[in-house]
Amino acid sequence: MTQVSDERLERTAPAPPPELLPTATAAQTRAEVLARVLRRPWQSAAALLLVVAGVLAGLVVPRALGHLVDVVVAGGHQTSAVTGPVVLIGAACLAQALFAGWGAALVARRGEEVLAGLRESALGSALNTGLARLERSGSGDLVARVSGDVTVLGEAVRTLVPQLIGALLEIGLTLVALLLLDWRLALAALTAVPLQVYAVRWLRRRSGPVRRQERIAQGEQAQQILESVNGAHTVRAFGLGPRQLAEVERRSAAARDLALRSTHIGTRFFGKLNGAELTGLTGLLAVGFVLVRADAIAVGTASAAALYFLRLFDPINGLLSTVDEVQSASAAADRVVGLALLPRSGAPEPTAPRRPGSAAGPRKAAAVELHGVGHAYLPGHRVLHGVDLSLAPGERVAVVGTTGAGKSTLARLVAGVHPPSAGRILIDGRPVEELTDGRIRRMVALVNQETHVFAGTLAEDLRLARPEADDEELRAALGTVDAWDWAAALPQGLATEVGQGGTRLTPIQAQQLALARLVLADPPVAVLDEATAEAGSAGSRALEAAAERALAGRTSLVVAHRLTQAVRADRILVLEDGRLVEQGDHEQLVAAGGRYARLWAAWSGARD
Amino acid sequence: MPQDEQNEASADALGPGYRATERDVRRWVFDRQRRWIAGAMVFTALHQTAEAAVPVMVGAVVDHAIDGGGPADLLRWIALLALLFLALSTAMRLAGRCNRHASQDAAHELRVAAVTRILDPRGFAAQAGSSGTLLSTATADALRIGLGNRAWAIGAGAAAALAFGATALLLTSVQLGLVVLVGLVPLLAATRLLAAPLTARSSAEQAEVARATGTAADLVRGLRVVKGLGAEEAALRRYRVASGSSLAATVRAARWEAGYQGLTLLLNGCFLTVVAWSGARLAVDGSISVGEFVASVGLAQFLVGPSTRFGMAMGLRAKARGSAARMAALLAEPYAVAGGPRTAAGRPDGALVLAGLGAGPLRHLDLTVRPGTTVGVVTPDPAVAAALLDVLALRRPAERGQVELDGVPLAELSLAEARRVLLVADHEADLFDLTVAENVRGPLDAPADPALVARAMSAADADQVLSVLPDGGRSRIGERGRILSGGQRQRVALARALAADPAVLVLHEPTTAVDAATEADIADGLRAMRADRTTLLVTTSPILLQTCDRVVFLDDGVPTATGTHRELTIDQPSYRTAVMA
Repeated sequence: MTQVSDERLERTAPAPPPELLPTATAAQTRAEVLARVLRRPWQSAAALLLVVAGVLAGLVVPRALGHLVDVVVAGGHQTSAVTGPVVLIGAACLAQALFAGWGAALVARRGEEVLAGLRESALGSALNTGLARLERSGSGDLVARVSGDVTVLGEAVRTLVPQLIGALLEIGLTLVALLLLDWRLALAALTAVPLQVYAVRWLRRRSGPVRRQERIAQGEQAQQILESVNGAHTVRAFGLGPRQLAEVERRSAAARDLALRSTHIGTRFFGKLNGAELTGLTGLLAVGFVLVRADAIAVGTASAAALYFLRLFDPINGLLSTVDEVQSASAAADRVVGLALLPRSGAPEPTAPRRPGSAAGPRKAAAVELHGVGHAYLPGHRVLHGVDLSLAPGERVAVVGTTGAGKSTLARLVAGVHPPSAGRILIDGRPVEELTDGRIRRMVALVNQETHVFAGTLAEDLRLARPEADDEELRAALGTVDAWDWAAALPQGLATEVGQGGTRLTPIQAQQLALARLVLADPPVAVLDEATAEAGSAGSRALEAAAERALAGRTSLVVAHRLTQAVRADRILVLEDGRLVEQGDHEQLVAAGGRYARLWAAWSGARD
Repeated sequence: MPQDEQNEASADALGPGYRATERDVRRWVFDRQRRWIAGAMVFTALHQTAEAAVPVMVGAVVDHAIDGGGPADLLRWIALLALLFLALSTAMRLAGRCNRHASQDAAHELRVAAVTRILDPRGFAAQAGSSGTLLSTATADALRIGLGNRAWAIGAGAAAALAFGATALLLTSVQLGLVVLVGLVPLLAATRLLAAPLTARSSAEQAEVARATGTAADLVRGLRVVKGLGAEEAALRRYRVASGSSLAATVRAARWEAGYQGLTLLLNGCFLTVVAWSGARLAVDGSISVGEFVASVGLAQFLVGPSTRFGMAMGLRAKARGSAARMAALLAEPYAVAGGPRTAAGRPDGALVLAGLGAGPLRHLDLTVRPGTTVGVVTPDPAVAAALLDVLALRRPAERGQVELDGVPLAELSLAEARRVLLVADHEADLFDLTVAENVRGPLDAPADPALVARAMSAADADQVLSVLPDGGRSRIGERGRILSGGQRQRVALARALAADPAVLVLHEPTTAVDAATEADIADGLRAMRADRTTLLVTTSPILLQTCDRVVFLDDGVPTATGTHRELTIDQPSYRTAVMA
């Protein structure tokens, strides 16, 4: 098995990685987070002060215990002599509880506010990613950042930040207390530090790469299992079970081995910390011994110092063992903040109210003109050449041609997804490149094969296209695309939860929904790319009828796979190898006996 | 029922077994890792005991060396302290090793068991859950059950530390020991009592956070739609609402948690104050020494730790229980079909007979397909087509009638043999993250002949796909064929079905995503490739139907007309509507 897979690794190249989105540098992230923390300086300062007060109150306890020891050692006291220090201990505990609790609440609140600000601005940036960029990078990385990385960051804010603040203050202030007790004892305790520094360096060197490999292995394992789950029908039909299972087993074992390695490194790290503890403790006890013999300090002072030092074990070990988590949280922060570095494809415009009374009918359709338009995704690889074209307001134009003829490219250029490499596109006489992304979108809507149904109610899904629409308008839009019947039959009608986690819509229903959104968005120009191709014959016919009504009164460009869409268009464009080779209506082109006529013959050959 | 007997017989392949309960799953996991768990318990107990001994040892150093001892005393006690640390560290590392194996080995075995069930040839009788749920059961739940094995060691360690601490305290002073032990009980009870509402709060909070995260991921997944409509503002506003209520929920939960933290500190403080007070009084009147007093206070603080670890162990167990229940439910999912005993050898002719076949919306179908012919099946109702394909692919049993392959009922053949002879290629075909050739070649143990692969690739017009890949035939095509277009994926999937070269091939709408000219090419290729083989084409594409020897039209789940495509187009108006646009 291993041999087979090794062989495969040699023979195959991985799928080309999508272009990565920008990542912020550590300095950029720090600046961004600090700016957000300081947006409410007083709350932030109050939170910090309360936490400090809590730790200080906690430090009074060993001091008071040391005092008790001195009282005991001095001897000859009444038992009532212990009352004073004991009351002090009680009061200190009370103060510690109060301050620490209050401080924790404030820290959590500021942390959560900063986090909310970060995630909202990250999603804002993601939403404003240019469509062209999105085509290049895919949406996987974006999804990972707004969900996975934001979750990691949230966990960090909820557990890591309070833990870090608490541990750092505890350690720092305990050292100060130790110093106040006796500087020589403090110095002796510090002999642990070089060993701890060594242990952390050792951990970072060893654990970083293993952790990374572990995450990759877990990702691969999850992907392999998901592939098996999703493709189970195919796996069973083709007898691929042994192959898939062997692959899952291999990747699962790899993930297990890396998990074993990384926890092994963890225990070795704690072994080293034990060594550091012993060193510090020994030093402290030895120095205490010498100082007590020299009558420089009381036995109680040495006891208190030892108690302080024992108290340090937990926070220090806790702090040092979060090194990894801090690293992965800061990497997540870099990726989330990095989204803000994406070039904005066009500022989100003030939410200008859409035209009034649009339910009555679409706004005046616009004219679209293309002058010598050409396009190349890669330099030297022209996929579209010198297209001259003019769409009259309200005209319905279908684009046909074989796979790879440039139909989708033409659609994307008209929709403003990419600026054309050559030539000019005018919408209502204005060059496309002068329109910001937001304005193009309000002029031209693009409906493509992607039939995403948004999680939420059906009404919420539709209102993405027009937030101010009332239920009556939603109903009308669904009616226009023949979808009202099934929508009304849903368990809660418009209030039914759809999309992920809700009622599942069929592919045809999802496409109807996309068309209903188009009706609600009500753009003067609409571009449809293969929106009805995958539905199968019966469904396609229903969708074509729906699309026809949704496009009524708009200038439209429709990429047609099924020639029936072309038959009813005002004009048909035939593309071949990126060139516009024929145009005219159905009868003209069939009569001309050119490429369209041949396509039509292939399509309709059996039909008459 | 015979099906159940067979299910029982194959239980061993499934780890905890078919029809395992939540307890069975956990017992299986425990049994498999018994030795590691036992080791982890012993070493954790040793480690925790040694940890508990540290404050005692420090007290002894104060007593015997610092408070009036000589340098030799100091050296002796420090050496003992070093020995203690050595024991502590060694036990910790050994415990770590045992724990790692006890949890990770178990998680791995469970992952494999879960995927084995998911891929079982007998399938699922009902939808077993979304792919996300299945993935999470096979990974997150498997890990949680594995980590549940740690509860044993944590419990053993806590018990050992408690026993040691209590003994040491009682040896120092019965009175002080009793104060500490009696004080611990209400302390722990109160802590647990306070934690209960917190757990409920935190799961409510987690739900809010997950909802906001889900909204973000969902909006980004639909980003092309959002941008196509220019609905960025509306989308952002929607996310802000979700993010805002997530913020409110987490702040609320954090307030509770902070209150809990404060109260815990306060309770521990009270406990410590009482111990210090009674201990100091005993020390003043000489009942215990200074060192014993220091050790007692240290022990009292230390004992809070192991006590709370009991709670931690219980939490791990509770989580493992929930996960084990989900794992057991997956393993116990009923099978769709059982498969028969016959592993018919030899080369079948490919005679396919559907005798009075019925399943759901497919009401009654009699159909005989002679060896080497191509028959089209047309139905305007997608549910009828789905039912027919499910029965032929052995994803659901026939409710009435049966399928016969060369005179043998399909249900009597073993699943592997049945699928080798009769292959159903679905419309939604899944490709895997391999090269195009590896996808087309099929199973590792019986890959298709290279010459056959080449013919299949050209018949399906899939060879053109290679030219668009960055490294041609050496490129992997990404998960589910991500880097290919819909039409390219469809052609590679068709090539795979043709390369398998089964005696009977059932194709469902194999050409919906290709243009008319390409479809006509593929129809020719299909015809040539399947010339002497039996093929069933479930489609409404006229281009494919005109290549069929015969077409059966199913209306409302029963055949209403049979003939060539041309005949049916002329004679049958309803057929004409179904196929023609």
